[in-house]
Amino acid sequence: MADLNSKERMAIPFVHMPLNPGEKRIHNFLEVPIGYTAEQAMQEARRCIQCKKPGCIGGCPVGINIPAFLELIEDGKFAEAAKKIRETNFLPAACGRVCPQDKQCQAVCVVGKKSDPVGIGNLERFAADWERTHGTFTAPVIPAPTGKRVAVIGSGPAGLTAAYELRMRGHEVIVFEAFHRGGGVMVYGIPRFRLPLEIIDEDIKMLENMGVQFVYDMIIGNVLSLDDLLVTEKFDALFIGTGAGLPKMLGIPGENSNGVYSANEYLTRIYLMQANDFPRYITPIEQGKRVGVIGAGNTAMDTLRTAKRMGSDVTCYYRRTRDEAPARTEEVEHAEQEFLNWKWLHNPVEIIADANNNVKAIKCEKMKLSEPDSSGRRKPVGTGEFVTDEIDTIVFSLGCDVNPIIPATDKEIRINKWGIVMVDRETNMTTKEKVFAGGDVVTGGSTVILAMGQAKTAALNMHKYLVGEIKWDVSKIPTDPNAPGIVWEGKNK
Amino acid sequence: MTEQIKSIIKDIRIDQVTEATRALEAAARLTGLDDASKTELAAGLAALFYHDLHGKTGLIRLASQAEDIIASLGTAVLPFLIGELALADAESAAHFGRVIARSKAAAVKPVMDAINSHRGDDYAMMNLIATISCFKDPAALEAIPEILVASKGKNERLRAEALYAAGRLVRNLGSDRFDDTLRLKMFDTCFEALKDKNPLVRRNAVASLGKIAEKGMLTPDQERKVRDKFKGLLGIDGAHNWDNAYIVRQQAQQFFKFLKEDGKAHNRYHQTFRILEKRELCPDTYYYSIDAPLIAHKLVAGQFIIIRANEHGERIPLSIAGWDAEKGTINVIIMSAGRSSREINMMNVGDRLADVVGPLGQHSHVKKHDGVCVVIGGGYGTGAVLPTARALKKAGNKVYGIVGARNEKLLIMEDELKQVCDEVLVTTNDGTKGIQGFVTHAMEAIMKRGEKISHVLAIGPVPMMMAVANMTKPLGIETFVSLNAIMVDGTGMCGACRVSVGGKTKFACFHGPDFNGHEVDFDQLMKRQKMFVAKEKLALEAMGK
Repeated sequence: MADLNSKERMAIPFVHMPLNPGEKRIHNFLEVPIGYTAEQAMQEARRCIQCKKPGCIGGCPVGINIPAFLELIEDGKFAEAAKKIRETNFLPAACGRVCPQDKQCQAVCVVGKKSDPVGIGNLERFAADWERTHGTFTAPVIPAPTGKRVAVIGSGPAGLTAAYELRMRGHEVIVFEAFHRGGGVMVYGIPRFRLPLEIIDEDIKMLENMGVQFVYDMIIGNVLSLDDLLVTEKFDALFIGTGAGLPKMLGIPGENSNGVYSANEYLTRIYLMQANDFPRYITPIEQGKRVGVIGAGNTAMDTLRTAKRMGSDVTCYYRRTRDEAPARTEEVEHAEQEFLNWKWLHNPVEIIADANNNVKAIKCEKMKLSEPDSSGRRKPVGTGEFVTDEIDTIVFSLGCDVNPIIPATDKEIRINKWGIVMVDRETNMTTKEKVFAGGDVVTGGSTVILAMGQAKTAALNMHKYLVGEIKWDVSKIPTDPNAPGIVWEGKNK
Repeated sequence: MTEQIKSIIKDIRIDQVTEATRALEAAARLTGLDDASKTELAAGLAALFYHDLHGKTGLIRLASQAEDIIASLGTAVLPFLIGELALADAESAAHFGRVIARSKAAAVKPVMDAINSHRGDDYAMMNLIATISCFKDPAALEAIPEILVASKGKNERLRAEALYAAGRLVRNLGSDRFDDTLRLKMFDTCFEALKDKNPLVRRNAVASLGKIAEKGMLTPDQERKVRDKFKGLLGIDGAHNWDNAYIVRQQAQQFFKFLKEDGKAHNRYHQTFRILEKRELCPDTYYYSIDAPLIAHKLVAGQFIIIRANEHGERIPLSIAGWDAEKGTINVIIMSAGRSSREINMMNVGDRLADVVGPLGQHSHVKKHDGVCVVIGGGYGTGAVLPTARALKKAGNKVYGIVGARNEKLLIMEDELKQVCDEVLVTTNDGTKGIQGFVTHAMEAIMKRGEKISHVLAIGPVPMMMAVANMTKPLGIETFVSLNAIMVDGTGMCGACRVSVGGKTKFACFHGPDFNGHEVDFDQLMKRQKMFVAKEKLALEAMGK
């Protein structure tokens, strides 16, 4: 089979990911995609033409050698394929599930020019799952201790990646987490039907086996300040990966009514505190018959689909159209299979509550898209026409600002006017010596893989700094409070 | 016969794996050898031990086959094997050690003799002691006094080797082989060695003590001593004076689990969240002192914590009634209301809360005022005003305390408040004690005396705080209230605790919990607190099911 020419490879049809059917899955929290069988995976991998200049590697924030692992899958060497991925990405099972491949590797795939691009994400997931279920994973060998101690603040995707990269270079690593379990946004923000808990726990266990220590219930900034960590606790370097955890609201009347949640609160109650298993778990969630979700990003899709599984009639309100929805294409498609209502071009202007402050209705202005402006973007403009829908529960899913606790407790950390921690874009150094940052805390909110990519850059530079290869340099960190956070530019450094 | 051996030995070469394999097979088939030939053969096969086998799986297999064959030759080859130990490198010595140990009890005496004759030759002693540590036969116990002497010797590498051997023997022989005298001697030697200057010696002493603990050979007193010592090495004891060598800390961390009350390994940032004291203040209301040294170290008046009682629990915010940074404890008052507070109130001294998170929120507004300060506590809030009252007093203010309750029986923390405030006024709704009426009546009483009030802090039920704020607003008295909104995470991540203050949405957990009472939308707060009433009732009904 290996001697197919590229024309023959291009002719192989795309292997669609088998899914749990929509009418069944809306009644449970089981994972939606079932996963490829070995045959399906090998056939899909065969579609890769192994181009000489693979764009997909550059399209991956952590630079996975995609053609190499696809070739291994094609040859049926699944364990080796997983190993190949792990050379650059240590959370393959999670990334295969939650990465926006349609904006990254698969977007630049040459095969995609003619038909569907190669299902790289599906295959990454396949390799990682195969490795986990067949127990072929071997713990990496840790080099001799360097004698340096590093603290990682936050155990989300950025924190775990930084911990892994630093431990792999022989440093002593302690991870501090404010919640009672590790995983960060992967636990409290990403639904179980997209990312099962076992996968996160497995990765944390692996880090523990590598000698990374985890401390839970620890709010750095309040319990131990950054100075405490550096001075009394004698850490040689710190990594801030506290993420974006300050929900945005619209600032419209009535948004403090009972039954109005931020997506963070709604998802945290269900996925971290397990309110869906109430009253066995005693954290409550109050959800009415009709739920409205405002926004159309990835988190909005997660919220919509979660609310549906909680048994309500669910509607999405978004002021632009489906084409502008920032969510990953696959998520929108999956959501559309789940019997949701869509109100595109609806901009909420007021939430109406009853005398007991309970939500009763939502008032929206109908919008239309303007002609493209100079940047080519079509802005939503009001039509002056209003509609009011009866509703019992509203979830705001408009993204988050950066968690303010660390910047508020350490004035040496420079932030911009949106609260984003300013760093040197080459090295991820902050304005405070020995402190690095990465993930949503420096971007202001993005995806798991981008956070991981940055954490990786930061960890490599931390290592260089710890062994004395580079000096502390804050000269390139922007001083303008209007400067944006780091925006990923599409290439892994 | 000798010819045969010679041809075998000729083929034992690492560059000819096939020939060497064949030669080993031939050697294994030889029978009826005399002692001299046995030694000759052993010497030939032992050539394999001296090669650097690292990473070469084929050769490692050959070496282990050679070990088997030499061991099968019996005690006749012991003099040769022991003789080699004097000069062998560490890795080769390990091969010889394993072979020697397979002669069991019969080999102990020759090794002991060698130890006696090599006194002063530290290098040979190291190999001999390492060999002893390979024994799984109780006869090896005889060598322990020798090992303990060596572990106090002048040569630091020998000390390290001897300490390591002691631990290995504990593991190999099992706890029932060691009598009390021997146990005590071993403990004392190893414990003493923790003070050694050399990190490798300390590391091996830690490992040996760890193995002794692992085998359950420590008395409770010894165990406590080792635990405290390991805590010191790891820096968990709060003294910030951990061992500077990573290898020592790493070993201590590895073995610490055998010394823990709960069998779980912890690092220096671990807090047990154990209930150290529980006292009933009035029916259904309890005062707790909880072990949380890191939190106690950082608390400032006005901040709060979040508690989760157990794995199924919800995260509930609680005010702080005090703390002791030195003892590492924090104090809270919990009144049974919903399921979570009831579950905590069913816990007792010695029980552990699943999580205590904090300190959270901003500190209270403390400065020197012109007029007097009044702190008002209602119900469970009486404890919560204590820290701020103390801070206000410390800032040089005259501080009045007002405690309100429905009746005398429900009055709490009055005495504690008296110790902090210049004067405490009590109000009860039914007049069973103090002024009859509400806390606002006590405020009026203070004002009637002609004293100027410049600062008020009220903590308690929302209607009480609202009444206080409504009273002081027209008088222009600065009034702060502490808002106990519904929370989930407590760090500003979820926004469950949104409150309207001065027309703006604020997060009680991060911007608060203290807010200007004149700007708070109390009506909305009260309604928001009722958001989960139906669910809370269900949770309570499901309790214990």
